[in-house]
Parts: sequence; C-alpha cells; structure tokens
Amino acid sequence: MSTHDPYDADRPLRLSCACGGAHDAADHGREPAAGATGGASGASAMAERVEATLVRALLPNERLRRRFLQAVGAQTARAAIASLLPIGALEAMAQEKGPLEKKELKVGFIAITCATPLIMAGPLGFYRQQGLDVALIKTAGWALIRDKMLNKEYDATHFLSPMPLAISMGLGSVAQPMRVATIQNINGQAITLANKHKENRDPRNWKGFKFAIPFEYSMHNFLLRYYLAEAGINPDTDVQLRVVPPPEMVANLRAGNIDGFLGPDPFNQRAVYDEVGFIHLLSKDIWDGHPCCAFGTSEAFIQQNPNTFAALYRAVLTASDMARDPKNRELIAKVIAPAAYLNQPETVLTQVLTGKYADGLGNIKNVPDRAGFDPVPWQSMAVWMLTQMKRWGYIKGDVDYKGIAEQVFLLTDAKKQMKALGGKTPDGAYRNYTVLGKTFDPTKAAEYAASFAIRKA
Amino acid sequence: MTPILRARLQSSLLSAAVLVLLLVIWHVATLPTAAARVATSLTPEQVEYQKLLGKDPAAATAKAAGFPTLALMGETVVRNLAHPFYDNGPNDKGIGIQLGWSLLRVGLGFGLAAIVAIPFGFLIGMSPLIYRALDPFIQLLKPISPLAWMPIALYTIKDSSISGIFVIFICSVWPMLINTAFGVSNVRREWLNVARTLEVTPLRKAFQVILPAAAPTILTGMRISMGIAWLVIVAAEMLVGGTGIGYFVWNEWNNLALSSVIFAILVIGVVGMALDLLFAWAQRAVSYVD
Amino acid sequence: MSIDTGLPDGAAKADFLRVEGLGKSYALGAEPVFENVNFTIARGEFVCIVGHSGCGKTTILNVLAGLEQANAGNVFMGGREVAGPSLERGVVFQGHALMPWLTVRGNIAFAVRSKWPDATEAEIDTQVEKYVALVGLGAAIDKKPSALSGGMKQRVGIARAFAIEPKMLLLDEPFGALDALTRGTIQDELLRICAETRQTVFMITHDVDEAILLADKVLLMSNGPRAGVAEIVANTMSRERQRATLHHDPQYYRIRNHMVDFLVARSKDYSHGRSPAHAPVVSPGLDADVAADVAAAEPAPNVVRIKVRT
Repeated sequence: MSTHDPYDADRPLRLSCACGGAHDAADHGREPAAGATGGASGASAMAERVEATLVRALLPNERLRRRFLQAVGAQTARAAIASLLPIGALEAMAQEKGPLEKKELKVGFIAITCATPLIMAGPLGFYRQQGLDVALIKTAGWALIRDKMLNKEYDATHFLSPMPLAISMGLGSVAQPMRVATIQNINGQAITLANKHKENRDPRNWKGFKFAIPFEYSMHNFLLRYYLAEAGINPDTDVQLRVVPPPEMVANLRAGNIDGFLGPDPFNQRAVYDEVGFIHLLSKDIWDGHPCCAFGTSEAFIQQNPNTFAALYRAVLTASDMARDPKNRELIAKVIAPAAYLNQPETVLTQVLTGKYADGLGNIKNVPDRAGFDPVPWQSMAVWMLTQMKRWGYIKGDVDYKGIAEQVFLLTDAKKQMKALGGKTPDGAYRNYTVLGKTFDPTKAAEYAASFAIRKA
Repeated sequence: MTPILRARLQSSLLSAAVLVLLLVIWHVATLPTAAARVATSLTPEQVEYQKLLGKDPAAATAKAAGFPTLALMGETVVRNLAHPFYDNGPNDKGIGIQLGWSLLRVGLGFGLAAIVAIPFGFLIGMSPLIYRALDPFIQLLKPISPLAWMPIALYTIKDSSISGIFVIFICSVWPMLINTAFGVSNVRREWLNVARTLEVTPLRKAFQVILPAAAPTILTGMRISMGIAWLVIVAAEMLVGGTGIGYFVWNEWNNLALSSVIFAILVIGVVGMALDLLFAWAQRAVSYVD
Repeated sequence: MSIDTGLPDGAAKADFLRVEGLGKSYALGAEPVFENVNFTIARGEFVCIVGHSGCGKTTILNVLAGLEQANAGNVFMGGREVAGPSLERGVVFQGHALMPWLTVRGNIAFAVRSKWPDATEAEIDTQVEKYVALVGLGAAIDKKPSALSGGMKQRVGIARAFAIEPKMLLLDEPFGALDALTRGTIQDELLRICAETRQTVFMITHDVDEAILLADKVLLMSNGPRAGVAEIVANTMSRERQRATLHHDPQYYRIRNHMVDFLVARSKDYSHGRSPAHAPVVSPGLDADVAADVAAAEPAPNVVRIKVRT
C-alpha cells in the first residue's frame, strides 16, 4: 500500500479506491494483506494514510489543495492541519485497540425497540467485553436526549438518525457537531390508526386527521409527510401533526385525541395489544430498509476519547450483528423486556422482533423483516433526510448535501470497525433508494428536493 | 365514654364507611365482562390471535384491560412494599429508593427556600419602604407555574437534578416570604413598645420578640410551601426522569401499568400527608393563645 | 444618679421629673391635642392624672415614657432631657402587653435580663421570684398568660415593671379592664408596694376614688382640643390611708366632690387653651370649716390655699 504525500503540491493525491475500501485504487479487488506495505512499516503507513485522508477531506478539490500548499508551504500546512484536527484520534481509531481513556460511560436511550442493539449490549455483556462500564439511562424524551448530549451529561446516546444532522447544523438548538456512528435499526415503525378508522384506510380521505410523531427531526416525521403527500394531502395544512412522546401515543389514541400515529415500536404493537388501534401500514412498505434510530455522540467526545469510542463502536456492532440473526430475536425480546429497559410485556416485544404479529384487524401477519438491524450509516441516507428537511422548510437556502452527510455519518469508520470485527462490509458510500415507488438518486439531491408537488411553500 | 371520644369514634366510623363504599364501587366498576367467557367457538388461528393480544380464551376471566381490579391493585401494593429498596440499575429501583431521592430534593429545595425567604421576609416585614419596593416583583413571579420554570432552569443550569431543586426552590419560596413578611409586620405594637421601654437591642428584639410573635404565621407559610414543594417535585421528576417518585410514575406510565401508577399516586398522597402533619405539629408547638 | 441642676436641694428633689410647655398635635397645622402643659413630680411622689377621653393623657404618658415625641416643650428627668424610652422609666400598659408565648417567669425574666444582661440565671430567678411574690402570684409563676385571669395578668405587668427597679413608674389606666373587686385588691397591693419601695409613680386613671386612694396629688386635665392642666389637687389626707376606711375621713368627700364637679361641669371650661400655664395647686380637702387643721397640716411648697367661703 503506497500513498502519495498529501503535502506534495506537485503530485496528485489519489487516496483510495472509489469503493471506500482501505486500499489503493490499484489494489481494488485484491484482499490486502494485513500490515503489508510497499516500504514503510505498518504503523507509519497507517498514520500516513490517515493524514492523507484528512487532507483530502479538508481540501477535496485538487487544484485548491495544490494552490493552498504552494501558498503556505508544506510545513506550515502540516502544522496548521495537525493543530485543528484529531490526527491522533483518527490514528487510534484505525489501530487495533488502544488503552481506554474513559471506562465509565453514561449512555442515554429512549425505551423503544429501535435502540435494541445498544440496550442489549448491556445485559448481554458486550460493553463489559470491551472493558467498558456503561450505565444505560432511560430518558424521558428526545428533547432531553438532545440537551443532555449538549451539556455533556451523556457520553453517547441513542438518537433519531436526523438529530445529529440537525444539531450539527444548529437547527432547533445550539449548534454542536454530533456524529452518527451506527444506524441502530432499519424499518421497525408503522402507521397505527384508531379502531374507529378500520373502514377508512385510504389516505386520500384523511383530511383533518390528527397524527402524532415523536419528534420534528425524525424519520417518522419525514416518512409520514412523504406518505401523506403522495396521497395528495399537505401535511402542514390538511392535517395536524403533533409531537407526542411515544408512550403517550397509545394513551392519546385511546382517549381519541389523535386519529393515528407514525411511531416507533413497541407502541404500534402495544396499541394492538391494548385493543385501541390497528396497524395500517408497516414503515418498510413505505421505504424498505429506511434508517430509523442511530447510535451517536459528539465530535468532541470522539476527539478526546478515540479508543473508548472505538470500543463502544465494537460493542454496539457486535450487538447489531447478533440482532440481525432471526434465531436470536426471541432471546433478545426477553432480555430487553424488564423494567430497567423497555418495561413492556414480553409478548409485545416478541411480536415486534420476530415479525409474527397480530395486526389489530383479526389477522396474524408474518413479516420477518418487520424490524432490521443493519448498522451501516450510509451517507445516502443522510442525503435523503437532508432533502426532506429542505423540502419541508426546516433548512433554508443552499445545502451542501454531500459535505454534511459525509461529516456527520461516519460511514468509513463504521466499515473499518466492522472489518476489524471480522464482518463483511458492503461496497460504496452512496446508494439509490426507492420510496413509495419513486427512485432517489443521492447525486441529484437538490433536484430531488425540489421535485415534489407538495412541499413547504 | 366522654363526648370527645364519642365524637372521634363517630367520625372514624364514618370515614371507614366511606372507604368501604369507595372500594365497593371500584370493585364493581372493574368486574370483568361476561363476554370474554364465550370462547368455545374460535378457530385455532383465532385462539392464537387472542393469545397474541395477551388474552387466554380458555380462561374464565378476561385480561386486565383498562382500570385495574382491586385484586390486581392489592397485588401491586404488596409487591412494591415487600421489596422497597431493590436496585436493578439506573432505570429500575425500588419505591423506597425513589422516595428517598424525591425527599432529598424536596429537602434541599425547601431548605434553601427557607434560608432565603425567612430573613428576606423579616426585612420586608420590618421596612414598609422595602415592602413596597419589592412587592411588584413578588407579585409578578409568584404565579409562575413550576413547569414553566423547568425549561429555563434546564437551559441555564444544564444539570437536571439541580434544575429540579431550583424549580422547587423558586416555587416554595413565595408563601414563606409573604407569610413571614406579614407575620413580622403584624407583630402587636404593644410588645414592640415593651421592648422599646426595656431598651432591648435590635438583635434581641428580632429573635426574642418578633420571631416568636410571628412564628405561627411563618410556620403556616412553611406548611403551605412544603405542600407546593411536594407537588412540584413529582411534576419536575416526570419531566426530567432519572430517579424519584415522579420518575417512577412516568416509568410505569410508559408501560401503561395503571395499577403501579395508582400505587405511586397513593404513595405520593400518603407522604404528602405525612409531611403536612409534621408541619402541623410544628405549628402547634409555636402557637400561643393571645 | 444626681446631676447638678444648679437648683437648691429642695427644688432638685421636687424637680425629679419636670414637664415644661409640653404640646402635641397629630397632624401638621392641626389643632394641638394639648398645649402648654407644665407640672413637676417629686421623688417618691405618686401622681395621678384625671380627665375626659381625648384630652391627651395617654399621649402625655407616652411622651414621658419616650415612646412618642412632643411637638413643643420638654421633659426633664433628674435634670436630663427625656429623648426616648429607657429602663429608668418602667411602663405598665393599659392592656397588660404580656408576651403570650412566655410564662409569667419568662415575661418578668425577659425584663430583668434587659436591665441586667450580665446577671446569672440564679440572680435573675431570685429577682423574678421576689417581685412575683410582691404581687402575690407565686403559685402561677410557671403559667402562661392565657391561663391567667385579667387581674392576674395585670399584676404580672406590674411585677414586670417593678422588677427592673425603674426610677419612675408610668401606669396607663392599669385597672381599667378589671372588675371592681379585683381592682380593689390590686389597688391595695399597689399602695402597699409603693409605700414599701418609695417608688415615684405617674398614673392615668378615670376612677376618682382610685386617684384619691393612691395619689399624693392629682392633675386635673381639661377637655381637648388644646387641653391643659387646669388644676393640681393636693391630697391632704393621711398617707396611712386604707381603702376600707377611706370614706370615713371627712376630707375624702370634699376632695371627691371637687374632682367630680370638675369633671362634670368645669373641665370643658378650660379647653381651647384656656388652661393656665402653671396650674394652681388646690387643697379642697382642707375646707374653711377646718382652718385649724389646715394650720397643722404640712404644706407642700408652692401650695396656694383657696379658702372656700360657704
């Protein structure tokens, strides 16, 4: 593995293969031998690679890079960059295992099945395996999660996947750089309606309905709006969307305050269990493979505790891996059901995780991939969220879709950690998605955002 | 039997009768419906469906839906009181530990409020000028709900536990302040004149004449403040979570476990009553017949 | 304490308390309640002041006590001006003004400690018990005021005032709220105590008989507004007088009639500033019929004898 000197103004900097793998373009397709280098020893080659990646990230435009280096000189450039960026941290990340800076951590979570990997890592001992003593703290709501991350009461937390984007951009709070390490779950949500709407399942007739969503910056909000818009309903003017904490969604449904909600499990299944509602549509039927919640932390934490962060990563990825196997789902339901975690009847969780469930209309459905736990934080997912935020007016003006996505969603790191654990990593960084039949191409983000008939005026 | 004892016995019997009546109404209202018992004509798939809903069609009684029965309530009470101090990690602790946390926060918030309110109240009560000057601020801040203070506290203080204590402080300071000021300014002129003719020093006058004279009013203020503080802590803990009886209510609410919620409410009521009795006793200790 | 006032000895004794040109009005520019009040009290003298309501008697007492300030005039005690309340002038208030959260012992001890802050517990107890015994309340010493009758409470007030051994005692209608029987008992006690202690006393009262029993001289105040001291009645009866036998003394009714006449008929004639600046001292007890007794009686200085021709 040889790499060109990033501070060389005369040579082009070609870092790696376009697939995102940790090898040169020339090495694509060949399994790289661990530690094999073209000349320098493994550790310093690693360091060079990290630094080169950094420079590339800072100065993605080749011409700009060369002009910058010509202007200030290689030494100055190197010193300046080293003072700003956590080269050490990233190196540590790239290493196997370094000594842990902080062993006792506080990790927040909301008691929903989306957080299954990071919750189950507690009782199943994955944190302990990495040498970490993690206190999992059940939190009252998403706003509190945000606040406790901002004031550093929590070291890492369960997020709604759009939240780190929003917080980094300073939407709805003070701006502080947050990062997504893994996606906690894909799919796993549903639109649940009150029993009285059993005969009214065509969304085109839903004018005047009141829906609950868990938070503004959530996939639930974006998916619901997308679904309603596709049926010709303007979510800002034709219906009411209310932010309600998930446990209260079921109570509100029973009381008739809302007509339905797009919310996280287990509350969809709980509504069926309590016989106050039925499951109208699983979220995977809007976008199969959509991200929902994420596991993330602040940029500051990553910089200050790189080894600890890597250990957390490994623990959560191990849990995700275990959660992906359908054979383990029943055990997991048992493990996360007690009062300290989800505090729900076990059968509700089992129905959610195994996909064999009662739908509230008298049928037993069998949808094994009702909830998924693929941890890869595709940057294209971030781009989709950003387009929707632009569509509905949460962001105004021009958006650097790729820039923000790549900054916040730590795809490269996730893949590195997965590789370190011996797992398979998928190729690429950007994928196309199909949402309710319409294709999303992340390279054409701005056009996609503007391409909808119903959007914020 | 003396008349007083007879009166007491009569009122006790009446209370007991009211309680029994309430329990009977509860029991009758939560009786399981008969419809659940007709289960023989279901297909296997329908039986399985019912089981997924947590109902066993073969059983005689229906699943507990909605308001809990007396039996379930009793079981919850016994279960929680049997192991009040268990600790299963940060999110699941016994009712005893939760109560301890709440009482600690209330104690701190109330104590701070007393330390601020009583001296200030003294000052305001003794000086009509300061009273008139500060009155608009007091009247403005007094009616603000604790839940409205919560976001401001969280934003500036950033620590949820300290925010909770601050919110208790800011809500329980007003009754003590106002009552102390009132008590101090209404000390009988006669006693003050006695102190004057005896050339009593200001400090001695404050502690030996004004304070005992105003003590019943001050304690009334403290009693009211304590009631408000106990009210507020439950609301505050429901908002921020973590530990405490308010968090306990919220956590059980998340599970829609109504019997636990009702149990927690009863505990809140009992503890609130105990606190009030404490202050009532203190009030009696300092009262005098004029 | 004795201060050199520059006056001859006899005069100094007489001027233990001197009130000069005292006047008070309650609002700026309003008519004074009383004005140009002049009188003196000798050491050991018992002086009563009598007059209708609203003539300012209580105000004068408050000024003497230092609880109020006069607008005009001065008060001198022992040659020094009275500027504020002092332990030298003990006060017994109209309502007993006992502190209801303290026992009898506690109330009196509070006063004793105010006077002698460095005294030991034992010394204070002794003093308290002495004066409680003086008023005859030994059995109730550890009771709270709410457990005492009106008369007992008033006695505690008196004990408290005496316990600080003040140079002068000021009493504001101390027996007004008591029934006749209790009043009588306490009057006897007060008389006895004052005889024992040779206390200088200034007392306000409505009760003419009481004044004659207790006082060495009685100030007759006119009606308000702009009231003043119209006359000073010298009590020429024997100092060893007893309540039970008082009315047998022929002087009694003469003095009494004089005072009642004043109150009923004449007091309004001296209002609106018509009182003399220096009220004349009269001795109605010494009638023209007993001129011989007059010669034998020991005149007080500045006494003007008025002969009443029948």
